[in-house]
Amino acid sequence: MLPCLLAAAPALAHTGDVVGGFVGGLAHPVVGPDHVAAMVAVGLWGAFLGPPAIFLLPVVFPLIMAFGGALGILGVPLPGTEIGIAISAVLLGLAVVFAVRPPTWMAAVLVGVFAIFHGHAHGAELPAGADALAYSAGFVVATGLLHLAGIALGLLARWPAGRLAVRGAGGLIALAGVIFLARLA
Amino acid sequence: MTARAWLLAVTAFMLSAQPAFTHPAPLGIGGFPGGLVHPLFVPAHAMAVLALGLLIGQQAMWTRLAALSFMLGLAAGLGVMTLGIVPTRMNELVLGGALIAGLLATLARPVPETLGCVLAVLLGFCIGLDSPPEAISLAEANLMLIGTGLGTAALLILAIATASRLKAGWARIGARILGSWIAASAILVLVLRFAR
Repeated sequence: MLPCLLAAAPALAHTGDVVGGFVGGLAHPVVGPDHVAAMVAVGLWGAFLGPPAIFLLPVVFPLIMAFGGALGILGVPLPGTEIGIAISAVLLGLAVVFAVRPPTWMAAVLVGVFAIFHGHAHGAELPAGADALAYSAGFVVATGLLHLAGIALGLLARWPAGRLAVRGAGGLIALAGVIFLARLA
Repeated sequence: MTARAWLLAVTAFMLSAQPAFTHPAPLGIGGFPGGLVHPLFVPAHAMAVLALGLLIGQQAMWTRLAALSFMLGLAAGLGVMTLGIVPTRMNELVLGGALIAGLLATLARPVPETLGCVLAVLLGFCIGLDSPPEAISLAEANLMLIGTGLGTAALLILAIATASRLKAGWARIGARILGSWIAASAILVLVLRFAR
C-alpha cells in the first residue's frame, strides 16, 4: 500500500494534455473515410467553381459544422446523420463529376446543410474534459486541411488532363458515398 | 493494520503530496520563462490573442489604440488577480472573446475602432484574470505574472504584424479561414462547457 501511496501523482485542475488533445482531434476526422471523402469533395468543388466559392465554402463549412456540433453536444436528435454524411459524399462527388455550377449562395447553402450532419456526428463524440478545446481545434483544423487538400487537387482543373483527373476524383468520391450508403442499408 | 503502520502510511502519503496547479507548469518551466510561454500552453488564450491579432491586422484604418487597450486590460487583469480576486468562468469569457474576434476576422469587413478597443480591453482583462501563476513562492509568482504579461503582449504584436503584412489575396483568405477555425472551435467548446 505504501508504494502505491508514494506513487500518487499530483491532482491537477486540468490535465494540461494540450498536445495529446490536439493530436486526438486532428486524427478524428481523418479516421472516418466518409468524412474524408466529403471534406475533400468540398475543396474540389470549391476549386472547380472558382472565386468566391473557392474560399467561401471552406469558411462556411467549419462555422456551420460548429453549429451542428453544438446540436450534437446538446443531444438534439438529428435523424439520419450517417445517411446525410454518406449522401453528402455522393452529391458533392457528382457535383464535381458533372461540373455543376449553381449560384455561389446555393452552393454555400448545400455545403452548409451537409456541414450540420458532419458537425452533429463530431459534436456527439466530443470529449468533455480540460483539453476539449485543443481537441476541437484539432478536428476543425483537420477538416480545414482536408478542404485545402481538395482545393489543391482541384487546382489541377486548370489543365485539360487535370480537369479529367479532378472529375475522376469526384467520381471516386461519389462511388465511395454509394458504398457508405449501401453499408447503412 | 497496526496504528504504527497507519501512521507510517499517512506520513508517507502526506510527504508525497504535491501542489495542485491550475495548469501544470509548461514543460516544467517555472518563473519568468514559464510565464512568458504561458499563453502558448493555454489554448483559449492563444486562440483569443491570435483572433484579436488577425482582426487588428486586417483593419487598415485603425491606429494602435486597440493593441494598447488590450495591454492595458491585460495589466489590469493581472493586477486585480494579485489582490486575490480570481472569478470563475473567466476562461469561458476568453473563449467568447475569441469567438467574436474570430467571426469579425472571418467577415473581414471594416469595424469601428471603438468597438475593437472595447473588445480588446475586455479580452485583455479576462486573460489577465485567467492567468493565475503556477508557483508557490511570492517572488516566483510575481516573475511568472510579469512573464505572462509580456509573453501575451508579444504574441499579440506578432499576430498583428503578421496579419497586417498579408497583402496577397490567398494570404488574406487564409487569415479569414483561420478566423473561422478559431470561431468554430470556440463555439464547440463553449457549448460543451455549458451543456455538460
